[in-house]
Amino acid sequence: MMVLVTGGSGSGKSAFAETRVLSFGDARRIYIATMFPFDLECRRRIDRHRRMRSGKGFETVERYTNLKDLVLPKDSVVLLECMSNLAANEMFQDGGAHEKTVDEILSGVREVLSQVKHLVIVTNEIFSDGELYEEETRTYQKYLGEINQALAVMADEVVEVVYGIPVYHKGGADA
Amino acid sequence: MEMIIGGAFQGKSAYARKEHPRITWTDGEAADETALLSARGVLGFEKYIRKELAAGHNVADLAEKLIAKNPEVVLVSEEVGYGVVPADAFVREYREAVGRICTKLAAHSTKVTRVVCGIGTVIKNA
Repeated sequence: MMVLVTGGSGSGKSAFAETRVLSFGDARRIYIATMFPFDLECRRRIDRHRRMRSGKGFETVERYTNLKDLVLPKDSVVLLECMSNLAANEMFQDGGAHEKTVDEILSGVREVLSQVKHLVIVTNEIFSDGELYEEETRTYQKYLGEINQALAVMADEVVEVVYGIPVYHKGGADA
Repeated sequence: MEMIIGGAFQGKSAYARKEHPRITWTDGEAADETALLSARGVLGFEKYIRKELAAGHNVADLAEKLIAKNPEVVLVSEEVGYGVVPADAFVREYREAVGRICTKLAAHSTKVTRVVCGIGTVIKNA
């Protein structure tokens, strides 16, 4: 099964997603970390997430681009966090997919899904501040918006986390 | 505790006034900590957080303080985390602080309503 978890900054998405992974029961748990540690603030965020995950039995795999070549253990339960970082990496990093970001990421997700038992993906709502950004950022929003829509079609469950409260847009708590 | 949340200009305050006609509302932007901890209802709770951060005050335990000292308060607060992560470090800190504090308060609240286009949808009713 595939679960797509979305929400705003600081909304409790990660805590919800980790709990959802644990709810699948005993399994080899893989955490695909996508945030590239390019400065102190990123490293602090990564540390905070590591602390949140500690004791929950996750093996961490760092993956900044090229999701589709990742080989994962069969029957594992995978948490991919966060799609917004993966999309930015593919768009902006050397060796990223650049203008092919959307297709690259969707092939990657299909590849992961074909290998594992359950996949939980955390993404991000970055679309509602009414700000008119310059073209590069607009393109980033467009790509992530397209990715989110395609992932929602693939997912069995789509849940928006609002201050820790799950609001289901597809499927449900017992779906 | 009760929370009424939503984006900017969605009619949150009007909705809150209609739901709770007897409450005298405290303005989050103008309130000091004493006023906040004794308020029956707060409008613009996110502005209180922004003002405190701008003044260099630590808000890490704000949720715990409110839960301990003002557990029946009605908080009206703007959801500020739904845009592109801002380039400005202070704004990043602000929106994240609002998120973390409100997530703790929502866990404690018996009722959380989200207002969109003036229409309230109850997303938690414990």
